[in-house]
Amino acid sequence: MHAAPPSSLEKHYARIGVVLIAPTVLVFCAVILYPLVSAIYLSLFSIYTPTLAGEWVGVDNYTALLASGDFWSAVRNTLIWTVGTLILQLVFGVAMALLLNQSMVFRSLARSLVLFPYFLSTVVAVLVWRWLFNDLYGILNHVLLIAGLIDAPVNWLGQMPNAMISIILVGAWKYFPFVVIVVLARLQSIPEQLYEAATIDGAGPFQRFTDITLPQLRDVLVVVVLLRAIWDFKEFDLIYLMTGGGPVGATRVLSLLVYEEAFRVNRMGMASTYAVAMMLVLLGFTLVYLRQTNRLEEG
Amino acid sequence: MTDWLGIEDRSITRRDAFKHLAAVGLATAVGGCGGADEDGTITLRWWSTQAAPAQRAAYQAQIDLFEAAHPGVRVVFEAMSDEGYSTQLAAAFASGDVPHLITHMPSFAVQGYYANGLIEPFDEVIEAIGADDFYPGANDVYRAADGRYVGTSVGNTAADMLWIRRDLMERAGIDAIPETWDELRAACRAMQGEGIYGAPLPYGLNSATSLIFIGFIHRAGGSVFTPDLEIALDQQATYEALDFYRSMLELCPPGATGYSWGEMITSFVSGATATGVYAGRVLANVTEQNPPIADSITCALYPRMSRDIPAWTYNDFPCVCIPSAASNKAEAKLFAASLFDPEGYIPQLHAAPGHVLPVLESVAENPAYRDNEIIEKYPQEIDLMASAAAQGYNLGFETTAHEPNPKAGEIIASNAIAEMVQRVVLNDEDPRGAVGSTVTRLAEIMRS
Repeated sequence: MHAAPPSSLEKHYARIGVVLIAPTVLVFCAVILYPLVSAIYLSLFSIYTPTLAGEWVGVDNYTALLASGDFWSAVRNTLIWTVGTLILQLVFGVAMALLLNQSMVFRSLARSLVLFPYFLSTVVAVLVWRWLFNDLYGILNHVLLIAGLIDAPVNWLGQMPNAMISIILVGAWKYFPFVVIVVLARLQSIPEQLYEAATIDGAGPFQRFTDITLPQLRDVLVVVVLLRAIWDFKEFDLIYLMTGGGPVGATRVLSLLVYEEAFRVNRMGMASTYAVAMMLVLLGFTLVYLRQTNRLEEG
Repeated sequence: MTDWLGIEDRSITRRDAFKHLAAVGLATAVGGCGGADEDGTITLRWWSTQAAPAQRAAYQAQIDLFEAAHPGVRVVFEAMSDEGYSTQLAAAFASGDVPHLITHMPSFAVQGYYANGLIEPFDEVIEAIGADDFYPGANDVYRAADGRYVGTSVGNTAADMLWIRRDLMERAGIDAIPETWDELRAACRAMQGEGIYGAPLPYGLNSATSLIFIGFIHRAGGSVFTPDLEIALDQQATYEALDFYRSMLELCPPGATGYSWGEMITSFVSGATATGVYAGRVLANVTEQNPPIADSITCALYPRMSRDIPAWTYNDFPCVCIPSAASNKAEAKLFAASLFDPEGYIPQLHAAPGHVLPVLESVAENPAYRDNEIIEKYPQEIDLMASAAAQGYNLGFETTAHEPNPKAGEIIASNAIAEMVQRVVLNDEDPRGAVGSTVTRLAEIMRS
């Protein structure tokens, strides 16, 4: 049995549909597809950045990337940074959200103030932190010296593992408010009756947290973890300004490697190769995120 | 020839052809007044890596003088940074949105850009300024392989002078300013204490560490390249320099492992270190920020491994140059030449007295130049820096026997040499391994 041919009205609606969706498709192509394809295309060339003069090298850049110690070292640093700062963001974020969910004086003010690091410009935040960490005039060393905890100023940003620990701490401070916002919103929607019933059944505060709060937060925490993991994985400005990737490349993450290749040694093709490799890892995160959000929507 | 992404094959010139066509088309369309605003005003953009407040004021005065003499031309000043200029310029060149004039960038960076066709020959401007007025050989560093000049110096800078506190020397019983590494180390050790460190040498992963450490290689009798630009890093002088540099770490503030230019000068000026390594900006900063030590400071050539090795001073030969893609080049050249008019040039030099030293003999001898509080107070230091800078070198011009190195800018920007220093000093790696991998990296950059 053949389907009836579309009527002129249906054809008209189909044309309108195409016209209506066209701007979205065009914008998508311009801001997503074109840069994506460009990056992959550029990664197949050896290109001098200032002139964009280049020659086809095929997959040589990828071969060089896989054989490069710098790449694997940057992957390791990126993972340490991402996992480290993410864990601290979650711990601080959930703890602060639980605190701000309690009845307390100046709760509104506290809720506003806790967002401050997130809204502060990264450049300003890093300048302040670099000043706090300063070996000669930093208040951190000053306080530790006065307290007798150290005999000489600590080199916070110029030696390992201090440099990695410092950027992880500053990253956690800068981005934990995002976790607070999301978790606090979820906490406020947990029915109070659940806690009342648990209390009547004899559950203490810790049991109420593990048996009610955490399960209720699970879905939102999964989304937060995935989003923050994606954002932290590609972090550039905070790390570049704090340590520049040093000492000896110990905090050089993938995004810094892309920047150095593109603009310091002017190898745009190789930089694109690093960027594509980075994109593939991020694609993995994104697929997990999409699967989780689909599962939540279906649930 | 370019493809759809604008990538230009080295052997093909479609892009150039397109540019020329576009230029001809534009010129035709606007009746030959390309680059002018709607009201006919020509706007020139001036980029510089030096933009301290006093210098900005001096630049603005020079701009005002030029604009008054050339109605219809407007000049806009925009600042770059020492660590960031390569990034800004890479983006500018790639996009074609270049400034009309660049100043204070190191000479070796200009040579690199010129070798890639990105910088305009500067011979005309040098002639307009007065080639005979420059100190003899002052423009050698700017002569390219094709014999043309790619720019000139807006000033000279003796960037790695040894600064030292005489009061601390006296207190430590040191009679003479150190001339050798052993003397320097002993002096720093003797002066260190009571919250004061011996020296603020840079060990950070940055250009300052690379540039300063190259001086140590030369002061051990070596060089990074041979005169015909073969890599010469794997030599005894490099190992001696690394060994000395490592031994100095205990005499530096703990944060020296991240130091760059800013921390180097601040440490000495604030009184946190007994010695310093920097250019003449120390004089103005001490005078303004720490007057109690102003009468105690002096400078000398930085010590070398032994007295029989000649001194070597790092001069970045801060440039004036014009990108070849700039519009209104005639006006840009006029403005470049006007920067050397004594009426504006002397106040510009006074904005950083002793830091940017004159390259024109007539200006150095001009009483108006000498009529400055700091220059009058530190005549010996100024004269020493002037003579050291005049005989100065950098990676693009390691000695007078060396060919210009067009890859020097990329080598410095790559931090390869700084990383070598960090691996040996901070990671305690075998110097031979660190030098070996640095040689490989330099070879890659030279080949690219």
